This record gives sequence, C-alpha cells and structure tokens, in this order.
Amino acid sequence: MKITFLKIFAFVLVVVGTYAYVGQLVPQFEEHPPAKQVITVQTPPQELASIGEELLRTKGGCLICHKVTDAGNERGPDLRHTVREAAKRKPGMDVEEYLTESIVTPDAFIVPGYPKMMPSALKPPANLNMAEVKAVVAYLQSLGGTDITAKVQAADIAAAKAAGPMHRGKELMGQYGCVGCHKIEGEGGKIGPELTKTAANHAPAELMRKIIDPTAWITPGFPPGIMPADLGNTVPEGDRHEIVAYLAGLSGKSYSATGAASPWSHEGVRLGLVILVFNLGMIAALLIAGRRVKKMESV
Amino acid sequence: MSNTLAPSAVQALKGAYKGVFKISVMLVAAYLAAQWLSSILPAADYRSLPLLGNRTAVWIIAELHLMFAAFVLGVPIFAFITEIIGVATKEKRYDDLAREFTKLLAMAYTLTAVLGCLLLVLFIVLYPKFTSYLSKLFKPTWLLYIVLIFGEVVIAYLYWYTWDVLQGAKKYWHLFIGVMVNLFGTALLFVADIWVTFMMSPAGIDDAGNLTSLWAAINNHTWMPINIHRLLANVAFGGAIAAAYAAVRFLNAKTEEERARFDWMGYVGSFIAIAAFIPLPFAGYWLGREIYQFSEQMGVSMMGGGFSWLWILQAMLIGSLFLASNFYLWLGMGRIPGAERYAKFQVPMMILLTIGFIVWATPRSIMATSAEMAAMGGSHHPFLGLFGVMAAKHTAVNLMILTTFFSFMLYRRGNRIPAVPWAATAKVVQALVIAAAAAVVLGYGVYSYYVPSNIRIKFSIYQVAAVLTAMAVFVAVDIPMLKGAKEFGAIRWGQIPARAQYALFFLAISFTWLMGLMGYIRSGIRQHWHVYGRVADESVNAYTMTHGHATLIVSGITIVFFLLVSVVFYLAARQDREPA
Repeated sequence: MKITFLKIFAFVLVVVGTYAYVGQLVPQFEEHPPAKQVITVQTPPQELASIGEELLRTKGGCLICHKVTDAGNERGPDLRHTVREAAKRKPGMDVEEYLTESIVTPDAFIVPGYPKMMPSALKPPANLNMAEVKAVVAYLQSLGGTDITAKVQAADIAAAKAAGPMHRGKELMGQYGCVGCHKIEGEGGKIGPELTKTAANHAPAELMRKIIDPTAWITPGFPPGIMPADLGNTVPEGDRHEIVAYLAGLSGKSYSATGAASPWSHEGVRLGLVILVFNLGMIAALLIAGRRVKKMESV
Repeated sequence: MSNTLAPSAVQALKGAYKGVFKISVMLVAAYLAAQWLSSILPAADYRSLPLLGNRTAVWIIAELHLMFAAFVLGVPIFAFITEIIGVATKEKRYDDLAREFTKLLAMAYTLTAVLGCLLLVLFIVLYPKFTSYLSKLFKPTWLLYIVLIFGEVVIAYLYWYTWDVLQGAKKYWHLFIGVMVNLFGTALLFVADIWVTFMMSPAGIDDAGNLTSLWAAINNHTWMPINIHRLLANVAFGGAIAAAYAAVRFLNAKTEEERARFDWMGYVGSFIAIAAFIPLPFAGYWLGREIYQFSEQMGVSMMGGGFSWLWILQAMLIGSLFLASNFYLWLGMGRIPGAERYAKFQVPMMILLTIGFIVWATPRSIMATSAEMAAMGGSHHPFLGLFGVMAAKHTAVNLMILTTFFSFMLYRRGNRIPAVPWAATAKVVQALVIAAAAAVVLGYGVYSYYVPSNIRIKFSIYQVAAVLTAMAVFVAVDIPMLKGAKEFGAIRWGQIPARAQYALFFLAISFTWLMGLMGYIRSGIRQHWHVYGRVADESVNAYTMTHGHATLIVSGITIVFFLLVSVVFYLAARQDREPA
C-alpha cells in the first residue's frame, strides 16, 4: 500500500512538475501599477507630455487597443497619426479640443473603420482625472510633432482632489449627527468647536477617547455636557476609526481606519447568536429524540 | 417514528451535531484570533506576513479552500443523481456507489472549514481596511453565509448518517435530504460568488465607493456566469477527484470483487468529470462575454494582453485532459467484449485530437528577437500565426469535443448489437449528424477568417449549437436503438490495466492544476485593484507577477492539495472497516 502511495505521489510530482516547467517557457514579465504622478498648474509642457506618456502606457491602458510604434495593437487608431487627423475630424474643433473629447467622450466621434468600444477615460478602470487627461493630450501632441498647447488649470487639479477615498468618515459624521453641532469643512453647527483642523492639535488616540467618553477632555470656551454621554455605545468601534481617519486626513495626517473591532461588536454578537441558535436547536432536537427513544424502550 | 428508526435518528442527530459543534468551535476560534491579532498589531491598511507575504499566503489558503469547497459542493450533486438512478433502476450498486461518493465528504468538510476560517483570519489581519470595506458593503450576505454554512453542515451530515436508515419505503425522505443538501450547497456558492465577482466587475456603488444598490452589487456582470461556471466545474472536479479515489482503491485492492467495484466507480467518476467538463467552455464563453461587456479593457487584457499566454497553458491542459480521457476510454474498451470492433477508430481519433491540441495551443504572437521578427515579417508567424487566432481555436476545441463524445458513444455500445430493425438507418442518421456538425464547425471556422471580429464572435455560437445538436440527436437515436440489444457478454469490471488508473490520476491532477490556473487568471485580471477600477490595491503586492512565478505557486498548491486529499482518501478507506 505504501509503495502504491509513493508511486502515485511520484506521478503527481512528475505531472505537476511538467506543467510548472511549461509555465517557465512562456514569456515572463511583471506588470507594476502606475506610479502616482504629481501634476500642478506649473508643470512644464514637456514634463506634462512625459507624465502623459506614462499614463497612456499604464493607468490609462490605452496601448491595449492603440499603438504608438509599429509593433502595437490595432483595435483602435494608430496614435502617431491622431494629431494629423484631429485637425480634419470635426469642423470648428481644434486639435486639443478634439483629442480631449475623444478621450473623455469617445463615442462623440467614431473614427471610420473602427468599432465603438472605447470607455471614457474618466470612468473606471482608467479613472483619469482632467489633469491627467490633459497630460495625455500633451503627450499625443508631442508624439504628433506639434506644439504642446494642453495646459492644466487650477480647476483640473481641484477636480482631481475631489475623487473620494474609501474612508467613510465624512458620511458617518453626518449619520451620527456630529455636524449638527460642529462645523467641518465649512458646513455644520456652532454649538461645538470646529473640527476641520482638530486633528492638528489632537492625536488620533485622543480623538478616539473623546468619542468613547465625551467628558475625557473639553475644549476651552465650550460648555461641558452637550455631547451625548453614550456616544461610545452609539458609534461602533469600526465607525469610530473611520471618523478619526477622516479628521486626521483633514489635517494632513494619515491614520488607518481599521483598528480591532471588539469581539462584542455588532458582527461578533450576530455571529455568536447564529452559533448559539444552531447549537441550541441541535441540542433540543437530540433531547427530544432521546426522550422518545427512552419512552419507546420503556413501552 | 418507528421503533427501529428512533435510535438511528438519535445517532444521525448526534453525527450532525458533531459537525455543528466542530464548525462552531472553528468559527469562534477564528473570530477571536482575528480580533486578538488586530488588537495587538498596530492599526494599518495592510499588515505584512513574514516569509510568504500577504498575497501568496492568501492565495494558497484561498485556493485550497476553494478546491475543497468545490469538492464538497460537487460530490453531493452527482451522489444525489447516482442515488436517483439507483431508485429508478432498482439496482443496489448505484445506491452503494452514491454512498461511497458521500463517504468522501465528512473529512473534506472539516478541511474546507479549517481552511475557510484560516482565510478569514488572514483577510481580517492582513487586509483590514479592504476587508472592513467589503464586509460593510455586504453586511447582510455575511450573516446569510454563516446561516447557510450551518444549514449545509446539519443537512449534509444527516444525509450521510441516515443513509442506511432511510431505505425502502423511506428512501424518498433520503432523496429529499439530498435535494436540500444541494440547495444549501448551491446557495452557499452563489453567496460566496457575490464578493468575488463584485471585486471583478463592481456595480451598485457610487464613485466614492458607497453602496447605492445592494442588489445591483450582487447581480453584477459576472455573478451569474461565474455561478454557473463554478457549479459545472465543481461537478467536473468532484468527479475527477472521486475517480482518483477509486483508482487508489483499485490499485490497493486485494480481491477481484474489490477491483471490479472500484474500476466501476473510477469509470463513473471519470464519466461525470468529462460530462460536466464538456459544457464548461460554453459557460466560459458566457463569462468572457460578460467580462467584455463590463469592461472592454479588462476583456482585452485578459485575452489579448499580459494574460493571453496563460490561455496557451490552459489549452495545453485541456488538450491533455481530452487525450487522457479518450485514452482511458480506449483502455476501458479492452474489458468490453465486442469493443474490439471499434479499435479501428482509435488512431484517426487520436490524430484528430492531437491536431486539435496543437492548433489550440498555438500562440497568436510570438516573443521574438528583432532579427526573428524581421524574418517572420512581424510578431506573427506568417503561417503558424493563422492557427493562433480564435477562429482556428474554436474550430479545434469543438472538433475535440465532438471526437470525445464519439469515443464515449463507441464505448457505450462496445458489447452491444442493436436488435431493432431500423438500426442500419439509425446508424446512417448518426453518422450524418456527426459529419454535418463537423462540416458546420469547419465551415464556419474557415469563413471566420474572412469576416470582422464582431461578426466572427457570433460564429462560435453556431459552432457550439451544431455540436450540441449533433450530440443530442445522436443520443436520442442511440437510446431506443440499443433497447433490447444483443450482448457479446458482460463488461469484465476490474480487468483493466493499472495504467488506466494513472490516466484517472492524470485527469484529477490536470483538473486541479487547471482550476488553480483559471483562478489565478480570474483574480489576476483585476491587476492592481482590489475592486476593479474602484478600490486600488496600494500594498507592496499590487503588481502582476511573471507567469513562471504564478505557475510555480499553482503547482505548489496542487501538491499540497493532493497531500491533504490523500488524508481524506485514507480516512474514507478506513471507514470501510467501521459501521456507518
């Protein structure tokens, strides 16, 4: 029996080894996520084009369908000729406008001979912001050998910042009524102190303590006893971390929203209840069945 | 409840409670361990696991969990079908076989649960921010999942422990429990697929990642195609592993009776694996189409971008599976009196399968030096490049499916001579149907080269339809034709060479490796995203590794899986010596 098992295992190793070996024969390359590019209003045109090239190759994923060299893909038009063709595409629209439109709303004009398949670069998965779109336009202009006219405006940068992070702290502060008394980012009440920059003066642990126990410390100039005393019970631990992370972010600090949730958190209690119900159910079923057996045996 | 049934019911309940208790302990331990580790480790978006690293650790445990889960969800489906066949035909051997399949489940459930709990701890501790996001988004589904796990455990254990009790007139109650096991199992799969598919093709959230519609998030583009794909794959995988178990028992058999029993079990297991495997490519096309509809970019990077070379590996694996399954059938014909009549078809079928294999595994573009590219006139070989496109590959795979089907049909009629007067006409009809399907497949395959891709893609539907129709017509003619057929003699179960058992192992290993590879492609096409296009992976592992590296990990997982499965096999074999 042992010999059979050894033979089988040797067979497993040979087959798996063969597959692993073939896996080494195909082309090997690593693909890294796009590096974060810093674009400002002052970014010089050539640097903007260089950032645009990087975005086109990585985050934008443009080369999956287009090509910028002889060896590229041909699902979409050859990008080396876009500037030359752009001027003729739509009457009254200059090269920069046309290129921007074709990236932001590709369906506005479909180049004859190509299918309608390109998603807007402002949408996932490319998810470019307007500053990045302009960088790509700048690159296309430089690729086409014309002057780079694309310029990043302050509004483009602001729009880039508006793309929200995953943290839900802001939403939670509305949900738990914090903004009723506190002003945050220009909105909210005046009963309590403004919280926009509170994390600049208080460490995350202090902010956490304040939510759990509102009497832990009182901001000078504000009366005590206004914040609900049971806030710690109302706001679950996970949400407290989210709020602290949001406040820390407003002061330019970073704080992970994920600390440990207590075993007695809502999730823990729910899990415990399900386990309890099934265990009690099974024990009850066993007891009832056991009693019936005993009854029958006695009869 | 009768006098005899009551004590057995208590035994069955005790067995089921053992399962519930085990799961309860594991879940509580996993939850407390995760919370304890989170409280002692510093708060962070990502934490690092020494040595293996986060991604590899999660990958290994998730894949192993998935493989065992596929097994424990797949086996009850065909155990139940086998049980029904036993009831319909009144042949006890089917009931025994279904019981033998089910026997493999108990230990596999425990391993699935242990791996699942370990995975949960890894997620919470290593990816706290993302896990927290996902768990909040899908809060109601987590609870449902836990309820379903308990439900599945209770019913699955009852299914096993009541096998001998619920016989005869009470058999229908056992079948009812079988239905419930499969309903709970399928529901579990569907719920788990919600989270996986949301990460691939998110829906129901706004630009900031907040939930706008739970149902839209659940019913995303890839949810139902993956549900169906996995359901079929689970059956195929379960069949292959059950066949491997039978092969082990066959090789270790001490009596002729035992050899015959496990030869038959191996045959049925491999048949289930191949039968469920044949429609898988069609489910795969549906999934592929949905991926393209969700994101052209994702679809193109999967099929034509960095991942395209992994499809060449997939072709190699599936080609090998086709060859091995036909090899097993042909060896099996040796134990069928009269089947030697069909030996003449084996060489042409093998040639056809080999050509199909080669075409399917031909890459479209080749990584070459500039001198080689200049000699070829581009990155595509002037001649071989023609076989690397989907037009050729679709044609090849459809012909391979048709050949394997034909092989099985020959096996089926091996020892039989039709007795009906219209047999000759029926055989002509069957030959014409197969020839017509082959002509449709080939014809559209050639025509595909002359039309644009958006038209070409529709041709694969016609090719598939032709193959499925031919198979349906062939079987519809075959069943009445072989009714009351004369027999050359009974199948000599057990009289099959040992190498046929290695063909069964080969099927099981290849299915497992293939599952690992396809799992990597499915997960890998998200690239540097946790949730594609919405939540970026900002960890140090947010890159796509080389194919060589990935295949080494898949290979390692396969070896560990077989080590664990051998424990399941050992315990199942040991049960033979113990009463149920």
